[in-house]
Amino acid sequence: MMIVRAALAVALMLCGAAIVARMVAWVRPAGWEILPGVFLGAAMIALGAHRLSLILRARGSA
Amino acid sequence: MAAVKPRPKNPELRRAMKPWGSFSWGYSDVGADIFVGLGLVLGVAAGASNVAFLFAGVVYVCIGLAYTELAATYPVAGGGQYFVMRGLGDFFGFVAGWAVLLDFTIDVTLFAWSSVDYTSQLLPALVNSVNPWLHFLVVLSLVLGLCILNVVGVRESTAFNGAVSALDVISETCILCLGFLFAFRPHLLIHAMQLNWPSPYQLMLGTSLAIISFVGLESISQAAQETQRPASVIPRTSISLILTILIFALAYSNLALGLHPWHPITDAAGHPLQFWQIFPHNADNQGKAVALLSAQVPYYGAFAALYVPVLGAVLLLISSNSGVFGSSRIAYAMSTSNLLPSTFQRVHQKFRTPVISIVFFCAIAVIELIFAAIPGLFPSFEPIYGRFFRGEGGLGFLADLYAFGAATSYSFVFLGLISLRLTDPLSPRKFKIPLNIPLRFRGERVEFPVVGVIGFIGIFSILIFTLQTHPLGRLFGPSWLVLGVILYLVYRNHRRLPLLRSQNRDWRKAQVEILRKAGEFELMDEYTANVKASDARRAEESVP
Repeated sequence: MMIVRAALAVALMLCGAAIVARMVAWVRPAGWEILPGVFLGAAMIALGAHRLSLILRARGSA
Repeated sequence: MAAVKPRPKNPELRRAMKPWGSFSWGYSDVGADIFVGLGLVLGVAAGASNVAFLFAGVVYVCIGLAYTELAATYPVAGGGQYFVMRGLGDFFGFVAGWAVLLDFTIDVTLFAWSSVDYTSQLLPALVNSVNPWLHFLVVLSLVLGLCILNVVGVRESTAFNGAVSALDVISETCILCLGFLFAFRPHLLIHAMQLNWPSPYQLMLGTSLAIISFVGLESISQAAQETQRPASVIPRTSISLILTILIFALAYSNLALGLHPWHPITDAAGHPLQFWQIFPHNADNQGKAVALLSAQVPYYGAFAALYVPVLGAVLLLISSNSGVFGSSRIAYAMSTSNLLPSTFQRVHQKFRTPVISIVFFCAIAVIELIFAAIPGLFPSFEPIYGRFFRGEGGLGFLADLYAFGAATSYSFVFLGLISLRLTDPLSPRKFKIPLNIPLRFRGERVEFPVVGVIGFIGIFSILIFTLQTHPLGRLFGPSWLVLGVILYLVYRNHRRLPLLRSQNRDWRKAQVEILRKAGEFELMDEYTANVKASDARRAEESVP
């Protein structure tokens, strides 16, 4: 179960990174308008990292 | 024959909630907000909807962190009202609590209304503009039904909340993942933002509406009251909750602006429209935005169109119920602190529920419902609403008051947080908002929360936006507060309690008791040691 949860957390981080990369590709034509998309990706990476840290901590204490 | 245990004199809440239970409690309350907020924001902020959600989202993260710190430090069910009362005194505690109560009563009506809107996606007879009377009667019966259920003490179980929350998280993740994979076009998003940027007035209106997608953080403190070892559990679950809600709100708003619809959407003249363009000036669509969006996701949309309206309706109904339950609980907590008359503490002899609180706040919810529904039910009233309230009615009226109540109570919570950091540095804080400035205040080392100030500026600006752009919120929100303050002054005068000052309370003793009841014995010992060390230091300093 813990491995599945860790895999989901990593997938979430990868999705976030993909969104950031996709939005950054539009930085020239769009300018600052990519900001909400970049924040979305960053929030996904942060949530993935938070979940991963909890899983690692739980594994460490088990 | 088994011995019958005597009923405790002052029954307390059982602390049996696990981390998932704590998360799902918050999620079923806050997670439903996006089902209401998305359509409203797309309707007014057009191409800047994602920016409105971003601004409100950043403020919400600050609020969420503040609630997490406060709920982990003071795990009591009173929530914002308790934190403000402890930090700023009885009067401001009452004002914050009264604003929260406004939000809870609106919560009952607004979410029952939206629940029916989502159901109307499958049952077109319930569409408000087609059958306003049927829509009104169904919403009314839902509110009355929830009132009766709460009076007899039937609550949705934590397991049911958990199952609905899990189903919702999975299905929203599917909608967003498949939407971003197959239907999201960045050039449509940029096009919508560049060509349909709203006026400053609309952007302010949209931002103040976006905050309603993040209301319900009181549930964090309510969950803290029923969680074992809350100081450890609450920060973990709250941060996951805050980020999940933020991601959904940002993802929906970006996807809605950049969505290439699976089924072509056209206007009356047959011209193609972008997805978000179906929301301005269409209250029926605004009420069920997530269901409409999910139906436009390629492949999955055919399936989602069938169950997302039902899922949305159930989640919204749970949230509506939390309004009935929450208002009675906050009123009970305020009453025990002598901020409201003791009538609100009265418990039904048979059902052991705060019957007067429940009926009183449900009655207010019904009055709000009637006011919201009048322009639809009686078209002759439309010119009056048009002249005095810019034609607002229905969802607009409810959203106005919801935004006002949330912005007011959250503003006070930030002030309470700052005040408690300065006046109560001895309470151990297992979770602390990042970015603090170390200071010395009244002889103690304290940490001044920079994020608290940023959050206060953000939420206060949203309060200003609300007052500036919501004609009904501007009128009825402050009127609600004035009415409450009059009630408070009359009650305090009657009880011969200080009117604007606070009652004397032994907060140190109270804090030890709170931590003991929460099972946080290490923190309790740490707090006692901090108090002793502080007293000894002060005694040393006072010796000439």
